[in-house]
Amino acid sequence: MSVSNLLENWSQFRHFHPVDDKPHDPYKWAMSIDIDACSGCNACSVACYAENNIPVVGKERFQHGQQMHWMRIERYWPDHDFDFPEQGAEFLPMMCQQCEAAPCETVCPVGATNHTADGLNSQIYNRCIGSRYCSANCPFKVRYFNWYDYPTDETVWPAEMNRQLNPDVSVRGKGVMEKCTFCVQRLRAAEVTAKGEGRIVREGEVQTACQQACPTSAISFGNLVDPESRVHKQWQAQQVEMNVDEQEKDKEPGGSHLRGYRILEELRPYPSVMYLERVRESAI
Amino acid sequence: MHRFLRLSFMLMGLLVASGSYAADTQKPTLTTEDDLGPQVTQPIEFPHYRHAGLKNPDDPTNSDPSKGGMEIDCQYCHTYARRSAVAGIPPLQKCIGCHQNIESVRNKPRIVELFKYWDAKKAIPWKKVHDLPDFVRFNHERHIKRFVEQQNRPTQEACGYCHGDVKSMTVARRSKSLAMGWCASCHEKNHPVTAEGGTPIGNQAYWYKFQKPVVASSDGVVKAQGPNDCWHCHK
Repeated sequence: MSVSNLLENWSQFRHFHPVDDKPHDPYKWAMSIDIDACSGCNACSVACYAENNIPVVGKERFQHGQQMHWMRIERYWPDHDFDFPEQGAEFLPMMCQQCEAAPCETVCPVGATNHTADGLNSQIYNRCIGSRYCSANCPFKVRYFNWYDYPTDETVWPAEMNRQLNPDVSVRGKGVMEKCTFCVQRLRAAEVTAKGEGRIVREGEVQTACQQACPTSAISFGNLVDPESRVHKQWQAQQVEMNVDEQEKDKEPGGSHLRGYRILEELRPYPSVMYLERVRESAI
Repeated sequence: MHRFLRLSFMLMGLLVASGSYAADTQKPTLTTEDDLGPQVTQPIEFPHYRHAGLKNPDDPTNSDPSKGGMEIDCQYCHTYARRSAVAGIPPLQKCIGCHQNIESVRNKPRIVELFKYWDAKKAIPWKKVHDLPDFVRFNHERHIKRFVEQQNRPTQEACGYCHGDVKSMTVARRSKSLAMGWCASCHEKNHPVTAEGGTPIGNQAYWYKFQKPVVASSDGVVKAQGPNDCWHCHK
């Protein structure tokens, strides 16, 4: 993909899905997260660190805003008066939303982040020049920059510890952007196996690391195109549509009783992650 | 005047500094599109031509090593290529499995060397010749499945697309560049995809990229390009 190719075929790299001549078939990877089931235990975050070779930056760098967690648990406190400040925290697992019209893709000066045919927002480390424009344009703030050359940093992977690195994932050097990939190495492995057997990836055949580690099964992940998949059923049951900026169910007066929603969908990034709202005490 | 002097001193200093910097740093080896990588010295110069080479029709027993090969299928030793992303290295047991029964070559220098490793219970430290950068992941399984198992092409031909004519060489150097543009030159072609044993998935045969498969008007053969999304190899 040379620059001239990028400019000439811009519409292929930049279009939102699904459109008629380029539908999602056979795959569209999507996720749904039940916030009511989330206990904020951070197991997903830890699993993500282990699976994707993410450096642990340490307290000081974290405070400088140089954190690297692809999967983070955001904490919110509603306005109720609780006896203790620790009471009533709500958790929101936040990772790359794999937007269908991703704001990060349009602004990359070198086309290092672009859309794949199976509906992922790819990040190519060897193409990235570290302009950090994508991160600036990301409404979810889920892109993380390598401020240091972590692989050579003795405190990140001390001697021998580099043997725990996942060989299927590149170890990123200094000056590149990175983000959640929906565990693309697992997806590709499953796709290759399935293609060799002349079928599509079955429901449950591939899991993301966060989904695998979640003790309450709050995260479900799968192929949105496959009518048998749990994700497809959940999206359908919650009446959440992919290619709209306002869900039909929310236009009813008084709103909907269904819990499914997507974060910042009114900005039209068309995110691929649906959240299931927490059942609040006040609602019961 | 003073200001001018100061500027010229600074420029001089900069020149000297950059000159000494250039002398100190080792120049990186430049790689070009048609670069074949370094010449590699293997612990044992493995005669691929002898194992995989064509049989000598004049000599059915293949007694003269300089003339004929055994026509052993690549996949006999490189078994992992068809079932995993990486081809792996055949274990030493594989060599010994045959060679303990081949008395006629037992005293040849390479075989003596081979049995030294075997007796010392050590793996042969083969050097990697087709060494891709760490951010590239080539999948052997997928290519073997497509070309050998689905399209029934000879193994040596399919492997040869990237590895060259291995049956006539010892492998000390790549014979194809393995640069990204070189890979893409194949993936950008329209290949027939309805060959026997093909795997149409969903309603679209082989649609793994944004371009739809095209149907040739002349013979009705469906053609499609290979995957072109970056995340197939870089992840």
